[in-house]
Amino acid sequence: MLHLFIKDLRLFFKDRKAVILAFLLPIILIILFAMAYGSLGNTDGRSEPVKLLVSDLDKTGISSTIVNRLDSLAEIKTVPADSAKARELVVRGKYACAMLIHKGFGDSLRTGSLVPVVLIYDRSREIEIGIVYQGLSGIMASSAGNIVIEENLRKYILERFPFIGSSMGESILGDAMKIGTEKPFIAMKSVVAEKNDVRLGLVQAVAGTAILMLLFSVAGIGTSILEEKENGTINRLLYSPLKGSTILYSKMLFAFFISIVQLSVMFIFAWLSMGLDLGVNLPGLALMIISTSIAVSSLGIFLAAIAKTRQQAQNLSTITILVMSALGGSMIPLFIMPAILQKMAVLSINYWAIQGFYDLFWRQLPLAQIMPEMLVLVISGLLISLVSVRLFKSRIMRM
Amino acid sequence: MIQVRSLSKSFGKIEAVKDVSFNIEKGEIFGILGPNGAGKSTIVNILNTLLRADSGDVVIDGINTRDDGKKIKLIMGVVPQEISLYEELTAYENLMFWGGLYRIPKAELKENALKTLDFVDLLNRKDDRINTFSGGMKRRINIACSLLHKPRILILDEPTVGVDPQNRNHIFEVIGRLNDGGMTIIYTTHYLEEAERFCDTISIIDMGRIIARGTLKELRKISDAKDLITVKLAGSDCDTVERIKSENPSVVYDIHTNTIKVECDNIVRDIPAIINRIQNSGGVIERIHTRGTSLESIYLKLTGKELRD
Repeated sequence: MLHLFIKDLRLFFKDRKAVILAFLLPIILIILFAMAYGSLGNTDGRSEPVKLLVSDLDKTGISSTIVNRLDSLAEIKTVPADSAKARELVVRGKYACAMLIHKGFGDSLRTGSLVPVVLIYDRSREIEIGIVYQGLSGIMASSAGNIVIEENLRKYILERFPFIGSSMGESILGDAMKIGTEKPFIAMKSVVAEKNDVRLGLVQAVAGTAILMLLFSVAGIGTSILEEKENGTINRLLYSPLKGSTILYSKMLFAFFISIVQLSVMFIFAWLSMGLDLGVNLPGLALMIISTSIAVSSLGIFLAAIAKTRQQAQNLSTITILVMSALGGSMIPLFIMPAILQKMAVLSINYWAIQGFYDLFWRQLPLAQIMPEMLVLVISGLLISLVSVRLFKSRIMRM
Repeated sequence: MIQVRSLSKSFGKIEAVKDVSFNIEKGEIFGILGPNGAGKSTIVNILNTLLRADSGDVVIDGINTRDDGKKIKLIMGVVPQEISLYEELTAYENLMFWGGLYRIPKAELKENALKTLDFVDLLNRKDDRINTFSGGMKRRINIACSLLHKPRILILDEPTVGVDPQNRNHIFEVIGRLNDGGMTIIYTTHYLEEAERFCDTISIIDMGRIIARGTLKELRKISDAKDLITVKLAGSDCDTVERIKSENPSVVYDIHTNTIKVECDNIVRDIPAIINRIQNSGGVIERIHTRGTSLESIYLKLTGKELRD
């Protein structure tokens, strides 16, 4: 079996396309996906703040305060603009949204009447709008309340204690307004991925892409059995004292080996170039790589086992891998998918592998708690292998 | 060396081999001649234990193939019809791989590989990838890969398909040298001239049955095939043709080509008399073509069809 394995290894490394598909292409995709998912799970929010056009027609101290507070948020950067221009820029897609503060805004806060602030937006850019809306709601809720209280308090101090003078009055007012605002009303604490500065986007990019590309690699290895059948080398192997099952097991061993190497290279690349901390749970990582490789390599062989010709196997593999990867979260992070798709995702190998890597790197769970994912991968891999061996023996190896 | 007794094999409803029996002596070149789909490859695969016969026995060197297939594989080499090589590997790497399947010690295998490359006259190309070789060179490597474990029996399954005449001669030479070294060779082909040129014994197979077996001389006798003289006439009328036919009752006249075909037992002995009779009947001869009894005529006689059918 080792003899056949070495031959496959030699053939693999002589085939530049296969090597590019197995290593270079996944690395390029990981870089691209890591950039695309860059903000997911960052400790400091987005890498780039959302630019918010602001047209302040009120031009009062209160409106300026609101704008300044919005601008102080890390997620939002305000850009002054007149209302017509702001609307045009949003329509043209240059900005996701614009805030129009109409005249009378300050007065409306004091009187408690309807606040004339309008947020115009491009609804295709939901994520940016969500960030702006969240920031704006928080600022408005806290600031509007503070402004009303401050105005009432000022009025009260100056009316009840006219002898203290306006500067003393403002000083007392300032001190009074500080009370209770130094500490946030709701204390927020992140409890996931706090030990290391892990970015969820990076974990998603590496795990998702690596598994997707791995499936293509092993499907290629599976298809090579059919190729060998077509060009007669399988028959020639059968003319030798080798058993038919040895030929198949050597292919499976080779697919398993390539899977381990490919996954390891991807994670080492992510560690060296993107700072993914592999040391968070090395035994867990090794076991996850092995479990994933068992499942993925068996699927690759299975896809070849159910096809009659090489062309059929290639088409079947492409369709299956793309559907399974889309469903399992390799292409799009699972948590932004609709609930029904999240439920269906459990049918794919990608799901269990990605969840395992999430548990490992993002949630940083101990080995025992990652075991369920590993077991699903290993058991499904073994079952698929059994079916593949039966299919191959009855169909491919038959003369 | 090889005894085949009442061999039969079916694939579903198709009877690929029907009650086939033959013996092959040590050092013999045994030809299996028949059109595509006649059952040649099925017989080869049964001999090599790759297929199990539905009934009948094959005994090779005293071993029944049903008892010890592995031992049979060790004394037998098979050159498949397809060029079954790894194109991305070099000639030497291919030989080392295929030879390595027979658990030959590495040093011995290396030596065998180099000697075999030299034997097929490709030692100077040992480090070139197979995909840079011509079709004929690939065929030679295809043969070489089956020789590394020094088999006593070599099965060549249509080894010259798609090979140019020069390389074909090279392959014939290789096979001849192997046979000179005492190797028993089973040679399947649908090229009559190859079987005629090479084989000590020929089995003609058609639709899974061996319809005739023997040396070329024996087959000639069995089939009662005769030599053929074809005479093209230079513008003759119906009366002349009738006169020729009355003088030579065995003559067949083809009006389209204006030719007369006459079968005879011996061309050299019979041709002067035939020419005389045609000329005496008023026929003017434009051209004469002769053909001795060939495997083609034997095949035609036995099966009633040409081999390309």
